[in-house]
Amino acid sequence: MKILIADDEALSRRLLEKTLDRAGYEVIAVENGKQALEQLCKPNGPRLALLDWIMPELDGPGVCRAVRTRTEQPYAYMVLLTSKGSKEETVLGLESGADDYLTKPFNAEELRARLRVGERILLLEDRLVEARENMRFRATHDQLTSLLNRGAVMDLLVRELHRSHREQKSTAILLGDVDHFKRVNDTLGHVVGDEVLIEIAGRLLKSVRSYDFVGRYGGEEFLVVLSNCNPSYAPGRAEEIRKSISNRPMQTAKGPLTLTMSFGVLLSSEWGQKPVEELLHEVDIALYEAKAAGRDCLRMAQPGAKVEAPHEMMPQAVRRRR
Amino acid sequence: MSEKEQGHSEPIWNVDEFLERIDNDQVLLRELLIIFKEDFPRTMRSLESAVTSQDLKSCARLSHTLKGMLSSLGAIRATAAAAKLEALSSAGETPSLQTALKALESEAESLLPELDAYVAEVRR
Repeated sequence: MKILIADDEALSRRLLEKTLDRAGYEVIAVENGKQALEQLCKPNGPRLALLDWIMPELDGPGVCRAVRTRTEQPYAYMVLLTSKGSKEETVLGLESGADDYLTKPFNAEELRARLRVGERILLLEDRLVEARENMRFRATHDQLTSLLNRGAVMDLLVRELHRSHREQKSTAILLGDVDHFKRVNDTLGHVVGDEVLIEIAGRLLKSVRSYDFVGRYGGEEFLVVLSNCNPSYAPGRAEEIRKSISNRPMQTAKGPLTLTMSFGVLLSSEWGQKPVEELLHEVDIALYEAKAAGRDCLRMAQPGAKVEAPHEMMPQAVRRRR
Repeated sequence: MSEKEQGHSEPIWNVDEFLERIDNDQVLLRELLIIFKEDFPRTMRSLESAVTSQDLKSCARLSHTLKGMLSSLGAIRATAAAAKLEALSSAGETPSLQTALKALESEAESLLPELDAYVAEVRR
């Protein structure tokens, strides 16, 4: 574990360095408070620190105060080293944000024991952060496919549309639906159905760039958002994504299975600043057209075009497409 | 023991306590003594000129630094002398600084030969 030592006095610094090196720490030694703060603010910087109270540039309590103003970085456990001993100064040190203090000259065993307390606190923080991240992941991802869930993909889409409008770029929205998925479930069972959905999620993810995103929109419906997508390339890219599903069979527990998907595609630049619900409605119509054209194909959403289909056959209900 | 001859209860340099603190690491001890013999005289010279010019802020800072290195080394009596000088500087007791500096210098004069003697003895 990395540990920072900040002491302007070379002898004490070397003594600390050696003691902690022997205790198995990866030691970073600096000679003033400013350097200490720089180290503590680095990404992946040390999270344990021994800070001398009186130092040039910035004193120990000053470093503690500055470090505590950060909110994004992981917790840093800071111990002030002091030759001071009065109650008022102890209070001042702890109030500045230090977690503990040690009086010089320190006893090596006590120092190590106090640092182990720090490590326990940091471990506790790591566990809490991990638990929070797990919860966040579960709240924003689909449990089966680990793709973004509907809520999360909608949030990202709203943000993406704002950004593309602001930067006058185009975003491509692809709404895809697995063709005849109900048959898979009915004839091969839900386990195979789940396998297929997981495989499709993986293929969709592989076929987009790192800054695009893919979400599970509904049962067997997937939403793909291509950021900064040049309108002239969009149909080609959508075709590639569609073919990534149909070009080879999927391995399932009941043997290989070839499936296809139909897609509706919409280019945000052709629709002005419309609400996301309206755009999704339009892309849903295009998906419906792809289904009506025989499936395993894509259709572009056309601004101003009207779909000539009876109103009751208009999309929204996924079950009609299967 | 020289400290007994001088009538002090504290040793000039508590080498046993110091060695215990550094896990009896003789190599580290010599390394720390090299650092000390380089930093201590230089800081003392700065302190002397700060006392002469009655620069209380520098006096407090430099005597604090000296106190730190002396206490890390286990030089108990010199640590106390540096601590006194720091306290007087912080309290603005300008008239007492010269006397306190003399006391620190006198402790340093006893300490340095002890350190040298130890190194010589270990080498033998």
